[in-house]
Amino acid sequence: MKELAMILKKEFWHILRDRVSLFLMLSMPIVLVLLFGFTISSEIRNAKIAILDHSMDSQSKNLIEKISASGYFQVVSYPDNETEIDRDFKSKGGKLALIIPANFEESLAKEQIATLQIINDVSDLNVASILNNYIRSVIYDFTSDYNDLATDPLLFDISVKMEYNQEMNSVYMFVPGIITLIMIIVTALMSSITLSREMETGTMNMLLITPVKKVYVVIGKLIPYMFLSFICTIIILVLSVLVFHMPIRGNLLTLFVLCVIFMLTSASFGLMISALVKTQLDAMMMTMMGLFLPTVLLSGFLFPLDNMPYFFQLLANVFPAKWFIIAIKDVMIKGSGLHEIWLYMLILFGMAVFLITISLSRIDKRRKK
Amino acid sequence: MQAVVVDHISKCYSDKVPALKSVSFAVNQGEIFGLVGPDGAGKTSLFNIMTTLLFADEGSVTLLDMDVECDYKKVRAVIGYLPGVFSLYPDLTVEENLKFFATMYKSSLTENMPIIKPIWKQLTPFKTRKAGKLSGGMKQKLALCCALIHKPEILFLDEPTTGVDPVSRKEFWDILKTIQKQKITVIVSTPYMDEATRCDRIALIQEGEIIKIDSPEKIVKGFEGSLYSIRVKRIFDTLKVMEKCPIECIFYPYGEYVHAVFYDKNEVTIPIRFADFMKDNNMEYSDMKKITPSIEDCFIELMERRKSE
Repeated sequence: MKELAMILKKEFWHILRDRVSLFLMLSMPIVLVLLFGFTISSEIRNAKIAILDHSMDSQSKNLIEKISASGYFQVVSYPDNETEIDRDFKSKGGKLALIIPANFEESLAKEQIATLQIINDVSDLNVASILNNYIRSVIYDFTSDYNDLATDPLLFDISVKMEYNQEMNSVYMFVPGIITLIMIIVTALMSSITLSREMETGTMNMLLITPVKKVYVVIGKLIPYMFLSFICTIIILVLSVLVFHMPIRGNLLTLFVLCVIFMLTSASFGLMISALVKTQLDAMMMTMMGLFLPTVLLSGFLFPLDNMPYFFQLLANVFPAKWFIIAIKDVMIKGSGLHEIWLYMLILFGMAVFLITISLSRIDKRRKK
Repeated sequence: MQAVVVDHISKCYSDKVPALKSVSFAVNQGEIFGLVGPDGAGKTSLFNIMTTLLFADEGSVTLLDMDVECDYKKVRAVIGYLPGVFSLYPDLTVEENLKFFATMYKSSLTENMPIIKPIWKQLTPFKTRKAGKLSGGMKQKLALCCALIHKPEILFLDEPTTGVDPVSRKEFWDILKTIQKQKITVIVSTPYMDEATRCDRIALIQEGEIIKIDSPEKIVKGFEGSLYSIRVKRIFDTLKVMEKCPIECIFYPYGEYVHAVFYDKNEVTIPIRFADFMKDNNMEYSDMKKITPSIEDCFIELMERRKSE
């Protein structure tokens, strides 16, 4: 055990002394979260909206004023009928259309209910879903203002009609996605690079001819980078909760256990890669091509898996990211507990055990005849 | 019991060029044994096989009666290895590197301090310096400390003095002599022939084959032929002309001289016959004199003869 402690100590010396890499590793999650967060959520200002006002009364004017005053929207046209909406979407770059029914004010006063219709251009899924949230909140504001004055509280019925893309399923997608990417960079990439560095510089041979157990050498490589990526994960979670109000509905401990298991899988992927290659550069390329790209493309992080050809859906199962993203979304967004995600954890853990076993047998390069 | 027995070791890499061809030799305990040969002769492959890092295709190596393939765990505990390329952690300090390897060998800095003391004394001023920032000679001394920290019984040094300045090289060999006094068998490889004289016995290796094994003195004594040193003006042209020399000989450039080994029994007439030959070919030379061979001459003679055979 003294040997393991020494290997760990040595590994932390490496990490702490390579200031540039350490700085990059710790700032990467911050940069990525802020970049993704701000580019996705608040860059949409003055989105073009078309308003089809069938009633033209004081309340509908009120509502339109509220919409243009919100800063989120810029009213670009007042079409006369629904076919003109489509025209304005295409010619004036409208992203959203609001249809105010006839007799708006009257139905508000008499029936305490009015049906507004929103038409969304969902060709850009993220933009559409964000605008959708904006317009809902503007209308909600309008409702509460009205309710403050009126004696009878209002009920709004907003019917949203989706166009161009019927399913919108990635609202809080980017945080789990970034956690996955960071973990892969920090654990898989860093551990495979540092391991192949030891092979390249010959220190691995020096280690191998000492009587120290191979498994210590490997564990000594995995733990420090898992620890680092755990710190990164916490940075991401804190940022996304504080800055972007991302919900963490599930148990925090369950989330951490899940993360640790995924780190182990990801690190053992890195280990396996470094056992296959000879140089740091090869290790980096292999991790990028063999793990990073599939994670971005095949995990459901950016592109929904359901839309992919069957072959790629099958292929996605091989990469740990898919299972992790499903599980972490369940925990963070749906609030699932251990009993609901244990299968994903088991799959990830099984992958890790499999990969570590293979790498251990291959890391002693003398066995490669 | 012999420290090292190498028995008909062959190794071929994937490019089909044999690196080692049925190499055999034995090293006595407490001996400094030198493996001398040019780059690419197979020295490092042989070291890797002896230090359990590489499997041989054929043959066996036993260290202190332990087979390097079957008993590799036990073997690893009794050997120290200083590889040909600097293989310590450059971003760790001198002391940290030594501490690290001491721990890997289940030893400590203090336990075997007497063995490394003479070297460690020289390193102490640089204790807190990063290993990567040391000079070449200092790097090798640190690597030697790391290889000795667990008091190995056999020490393998793969080209420890390559790229090290002459003063540090001499120091390094002095250190090896003190190590030998601690009853540690030393196997050292070098491309520098002048270093060979400092070994108890040497094996000359070329193209994966051992050409000769003996003590340096005996190798010099066993020199065949008579050696002449000749001063010439145009070395390249002279060498070309000498290819046609009617007297059976081997010749090679040696600084500003050409060394020629003649195998003719009628030794007295060699200078006269050589003079005639050179005159016929319009080649000038001066200062032709018979010299006693150095170890380097012995090696070159052995290698050249083998090449021509």
